[in-house]
Amino acid sequence: MTVVTTATGLLAMLQEPHPTLKLHALKNLNVLVDKFWPEVSTKVSAIESLYEDDTFHEPELAALVASKVFYYLGELNDSLTYALGAGSLFDVSEDTEYVQTLVAKCVDEYILLSVKAAESNEKEKTVLDPRLVAIVERMLEKCIQDGKIQQAVGIALECRRLDTLEVAISRSENSSAMLSYCLRLSQTFVNNRAFRHEVLRLLVKSYQGLQQPDYLNVCQCLMFLDEPAEVAAILDKLLKGDKNDALLAYQVAFDLFENEYQKFLLNVRNLLPEPSSISKTAPSMVLNGGLSQDNRNGNGISAMTSSGPSAMDSDLTEPLLGNHAAEEAGDIAASSFAPVVERTPYAERLTKLKGILSGETPISLTLQFLYSHNRSDLLILKNIKQSVEMRNSVCHSATIYSNALMHAGTTVDTFLRENLDWLKRATNWAKFSATAGLGVIHRGHHQQGRSLMAPYLPQNGGTGGGSPYSEGGALYALGLIHANHGEGIKQFLLESLRNTSNEVIQHGACLGLGLAALGTADEEIYEDVKNVLYTDSAVAGEAAGIAMGLLMVGTASEKAAEMLAYAHDTQHEKIIRGLALGISLVLYGREEEADTLIEQMTGDQDPVLRYGGMYALAMAYRGTANNSAIRRLLHFAVSDVSDDVRRTAVLALGFVLCSEPEQAPRMVSLLSESYNAHVRYGAAMAVGISCAGSGSSEAISLLEPLTSDAVDFVRQGALIAMAMVLLQTTESREPRVASFRRQLEKIINDKHEETMSKMGAILAQGILDAGGRNVAIMLQSRTGHDRMTAVVGMVVFSQFWYWYPLIYFISLSFAPTAFIGLNEELRMPKFDFVSETKPSLFGYPPSVVPPAATSAVKLPTAVLSTSNRAKVRGAKREAEAKGGKVTVQDAGAGAEGAVGGDKESTSAVKDECSMDVEDGLEKKAVVAEPSSEVLNNPARVVPEQEKFIKFREDSRYTPLKLKRAPSGFVMLRDMTPSEPVELVSTDAPVSAGGAGAVAANTNAVAMVVEDNEVPPPEPFEYVP
Amino acid sequence: MGQDVEKRPVEVVPPSVLSQLKGVIASIEKGVLNKEMRLMARANRQMFAVRRQLKTSTVSAIMKHALPAGSDALARLSPFVAALEKSEKDMDVDSPAITGQSHGSQKQSVLPEVEIFCYLLVTIFLIDQKKLKEAKACSTAAVKRLQQLNRRTLDFLAARVFYYYSYSHEITDSLADIRGTLLALHQTATLRHDELGQETLLNLLLRNYLHYNLYDHAEKLRSKTQRSDSHSNQQLCRYLFYLGKIRTIQLEYTDAKECLLQAGRKAPASARGFRIQCTKWAVIVRLLLGEIPERTTFMQPGMRKALRPYFELTNAVRIGDLELFRHVAEKSSSVFTADKCHNLIVRLRHNVIRTGLRNISIAYSRISLTDVAKKLHLDSATPVDDAESIVTKAIRDGGIDASVDHSNGWMQSKETGDVYSTQEPQQAFHSRIAFCLNIHNEAVQALRFPPDAHKKELESAEKRRERQQQEQELAKHIAEEDDDEF
Repeated sequence: MTVVTTATGLLAMLQEPHPTLKLHALKNLNVLVDKFWPEVSTKVSAIESLYEDDTFHEPELAALVASKVFYYLGELNDSLTYALGAGSLFDVSEDTEYVQTLVAKCVDEYILLSVKAAESNEKEKTVLDPRLVAIVERMLEKCIQDGKIQQAVGIALECRRLDTLEVAISRSENSSAMLSYCLRLSQTFVNNRAFRHEVLRLLVKSYQGLQQPDYLNVCQCLMFLDEPAEVAAILDKLLKGDKNDALLAYQVAFDLFENEYQKFLLNVRNLLPEPSSISKTAPSMVLNGGLSQDNRNGNGISAMTSSGPSAMDSDLTEPLLGNHAAEEAGDIAASSFAPVVERTPYAERLTKLKGILSGETPISLTLQFLYSHNRSDLLILKNIKQSVEMRNSVCHSATIYSNALMHAGTTVDTFLRENLDWLKRATNWAKFSATAGLGVIHRGHHQQGRSLMAPYLPQNGGTGGGSPYSEGGALYALGLIHANHGEGIKQFLLESLRNTSNEVIQHGACLGLGLAALGTADEEIYEDVKNVLYTDSAVAGEAAGIAMGLLMVGTASEKAAEMLAYAHDTQHEKIIRGLALGISLVLYGREEEADTLIEQMTGDQDPVLRYGGMYALAMAYRGTANNSAIRRLLHFAVSDVSDDVRRTAVLALGFVLCSEPEQAPRMVSLLSESYNAHVRYGAAMAVGISCAGSGSSEAISLLEPLTSDAVDFVRQGALIAMAMVLLQTTESREPRVASFRRQLEKIINDKHEETMSKMGAILAQGILDAGGRNVAIMLQSRTGHDRMTAVVGMVVFSQFWYWYPLIYFISLSFAPTAFIGLNEELRMPKFDFVSETKPSLFGYPPSVVPPAATSAVKLPTAVLSTSNRAKVRGAKREAEAKGGKVTVQDAGAGAEGAVGGDKESTSAVKDECSMDVEDGLEKKAVVAEPSSEVLNNPARVVPEQEKFIKFREDSRYTPLKLKRAPSGFVMLRDMTPSEPVELVSTDAPVSAGGAGAVAANTNAVAMVVEDNEVPPPEPFEYVP
Repeated sequence: MGQDVEKRPVEVVPPSVLSQLKGVIASIEKGVLNKEMRLMARANRQMFAVRRQLKTSTVSAIMKHALPAGSDALARLSPFVAALEKSEKDMDVDSPAITGQSHGSQKQSVLPEVEIFCYLLVTIFLIDQKKLKEAKACSTAAVKRLQQLNRRTLDFLAARVFYYYSYSHEITDSLADIRGTLLALHQTATLRHDELGQETLLNLLLRNYLHYNLYDHAEKLRSKTQRSDSHSNQQLCRYLFYLGKIRTIQLEYTDAKECLLQAGRKAPASARGFRIQCTKWAVIVRLLLGEIPERTTFMQPGMRKALRPYFELTNAVRIGDLELFRHVAEKSSSVFTADKCHNLIVRLRHNVIRTGLRNISIAYSRISLTDVAKKLHLDSATPVDDAESIVTKAIRDGGIDASVDHSNGWMQSKETGDVYSTQEPQQAFHSRIAFCLNIHNEAVQALRFPPDAHKKELESAEKRRERQQQEQELAKHIAEEDDDEF
């Protein structure tokens, strides 16, 4: 065999006139090109001309050689063109680098072209090269044949080939797994909204074609497509089926509810047939058990302070005490339901389903959970209160905000009641927000909300004697209580708005209306709010602007243009800002559709509108991690002349990236070192928003230096963001939690600290212990979709920079971290399951150690309140029984039980004494922490904990859908329906002696104690 | 390591070498885990530190440590080492047999990086032991294995393997066989954006072509491949050297000189052989350009002897003595042939003549062509005609500033001008300044800072408050002083 050392001869042959010689040369070159391409490349023009030469017999061979040469030269585009020209000679199945590279290039090219074709207008549609299409289709076919369905699905989605997608799904072996894979892809990778809808439609079709349709996912898809009729039809069908179908229907309804899309839910509900024999009161019947208990608690709390006449002079405190009578009336009303006539099971199921869809059932269950599991630490608040200077009104109201957040949704307003004198210092707008804080605390308390707030509300016929601030605040509070579920309260708020001309009350009413009618696009309300806007009052106008946005969330209606026009007309910066935010809310989730308006806003001369443009980008592209949106935001973050715009642009990144929390810290890490303090603030908040509740170590490392920044407001933002990130993160998972808590304490106690950062620290403390520590900030639901209310709440919250009362909006993004198992009666049966991890990993933070005996003397009398003690004690006992951190008992612990005369508190004291003994023992020999714990329905399950949850196989109840994440509302299937059902009773007292004795020893029994939280003691007369 | 303890009494393995090698493997593993290329480079350096101390027993011990029993790589590598062991044993009967039964590590899977490292270690060891055939086989096996893998963390080790693959073939004189493989590997590296591999392989290919004097091929390949910024200084040096050689052959002496000088300058001080080669070529190119290298060039420590023939050559050219030149060329022709620059020496003859001519034109304001022919030792049939044509050509090329009076048969030199009245010095200065600035910029770019070091200097809240207070006091103080003045 001769070794060829050069290709010169063959190349020379190409110049010969005779075609046979040329052909011979080409054939040899085709083989040798791998080794001699540097030489051949000098003559590539000759080969190219052979390809174009009509007289030459085998232009395809020439094309192949040319393609190879260009491939070696790195000119993949040219190479591809010639490879396509080579036709059948280009063998796709060949296993060489050349072919693989070109096929990859081919697919890329095809994706690029088809996306371009899909997005351009119909007329300019370019015709794709059929040869290109053929190669791609051949590859896809091969993928499907080889069983690489996931790849085929991915490519089909990328090149927008719905037909191929359908084929791929139908031919996969595990269709349902493939469908859920596809669903996830469509949410995360498909950037075009219209195309995503097409994919979803296809998915719905495929899901329904399955043997056992996955109704959970079908209904989720349909919700995104906004097709209530179909959902209603499915639910109706399920209700008519057997028991399990009915359970499934409930589960679907609960899942839909979790996405908090009010308008859609209402539509579904209205489309369901009306059960004939059911009166309007029926839905609440279902909940009678839970609610009557709520009433009792509410009464208990208000009754406790009803004998404190000294506080009567303040218009703020007076109503708190007056509640008693009103609630009693409510109680009677609630308990006096006449037994309902027998109904068909279908009608009964329908009623229950409607109860879920309207939000009544889930909200009251949540409320019950948050109340019974409330583990807030009043000592923290007390410490804050003591260390904050009396005259510093900012810190004063920050403490009130903090209290509201700590008790969000728990209905526990003990702190306020105990500190009425202190509370009286709140004047004017501080009074407004103090009143509104009640709304956060009682969030979801629909039945009692109105009567709770009644004393503050504007009286019929004029302003009455009340201060407009507390009246406005009360209206705002009502909105917060009924946020996103405001059907019952809408009318009242609307009337209040019409009846007043005071701008403070208008402000409160607008915010309240916006919250209650969130996203309903109610024309009537819109008109009224618009009238307020046109009065051109700065205070009311700002709220009106925001309210209009809240009303129209995500509708992208032409109202946005109207609002923009008025924003140009008005002189008030406050109104412009309100409107700008409102417009951004209107564009929520519209992605590309919103681009025209976004361009208009970001190109405006007015910095306030540009700032609104940033929010519009954040809203339109929330949670999409869309590259173009990120690019635009980054551009504004470094180039705009206005600090406000730059700050907001960085902050908006947090919203865009909220679906990919691991990306955000990297994205803003450079910006967090910017010389511009506003940009640093924005970076901190962006990380806080996108990594909320994740405890991500990158996020913490980024925020840590910012918490000791040189500029006070940066410190403020970083502290708040840090609290958001560390929400529900325990020390054993992230040791920096403890140091952060210490830092907060230090900042709050430090006299020299600037007010801004002090306020940040107080708020951070509130967020860190939010909702009795049973809530997390969740901008996305468990299924990975955006929770609209939560995102909206977070956006408006970030406005607190300009207007503190908006801080309360963060409560909208709180979601209870609960596992609530329900049977078909929608009641909680007794049921337990295992969390296979150390309890301390996801437990509550240890309670603050009470001050030593010496300082206890200085405490105000109110501290002696038994309810406070019982709470603290309860929490303490919890911690001890779990075998986690053991707190030191102060000397006076034994004595305090004497106050409570009833059986329970004495038993608690016994309990505690035995614990003290146990304590001593434990200190000597540290007992190893158990590696798992038993949780009882309903239980606190932190998102990170979900993967450790295991259900017992021998348990009576099993979850309906095993694959679903074990959190939120879970429908349970009863395996032995014949046995009597044992329900969880939250109000029944424990058989005290037994529980107390065993609690110290075993874990399992301790959990029973946790479940049966000691209720507040009976009302008593306080004799000083 | 249990195995280590077990063996110590039996064998005299210097524990440091073995443990150092274990450290190398550990740092490779760490580098893979963190995707940190720097650690891989360090591992490589550590390995070269112990290269000279390697022993058969050490190599086999480390192989057993790193590779799981029964793995493919171990099966392929152990015969090489076993063969060596055997020959060693033949020589030295006392050395106890290694009990290969007990394997210290029971790792089931091994990182491909570690596997390749073992291949590399064995190859180097075999080359050092002059087992060239085995080394060739071993490196070929390594390259085969590499072709199955596609990991970016391998790039660094892969580049080393390629180098030894080519080297083992070069010393066994079979470079031509692997050209196709190298081309394929180069293409793969290009597609995978493995820049280090790309660079290394391009150099190996150039070396391969130049080995067979295929300058044209080399130039075509070089000009057609895309080159990114260099990642490795060594590879850049080699590339520049090869490029310099190609340029010399192509008569582009100015480019060639720049390349060769830079290659010599960038080469590490320890690479003496490479620097000598660079200097030799640079000397010839400078001579061809009509420059005379400084004497110090030949007096560099450690190079004196190797550069002796070139020094003599330079001397001949400097004087412009054709006779001496011929003598030197003949005397050292073996050296020049070995250095593959004999054809360049032939080209130099013309330069000798021209230098001689320039000397003459400087020395004489007017000289007859007969004398020129005599002084240049032109011993052809018609020396005067030859001299006339040489002089005219030199004048046309700008070599000398003179005119020929054909009728009288003499050469008239023109007055030499003042060089400082021209742009020349300015340009020289400029090029020097540009060179310095360039070096400075490169140095700045090459600096590495510990990550996030600047964050450590954040002041605490108290310190800041203190500082602010001091500043305020100072400001107040100044303001008061200002007031006092009025």
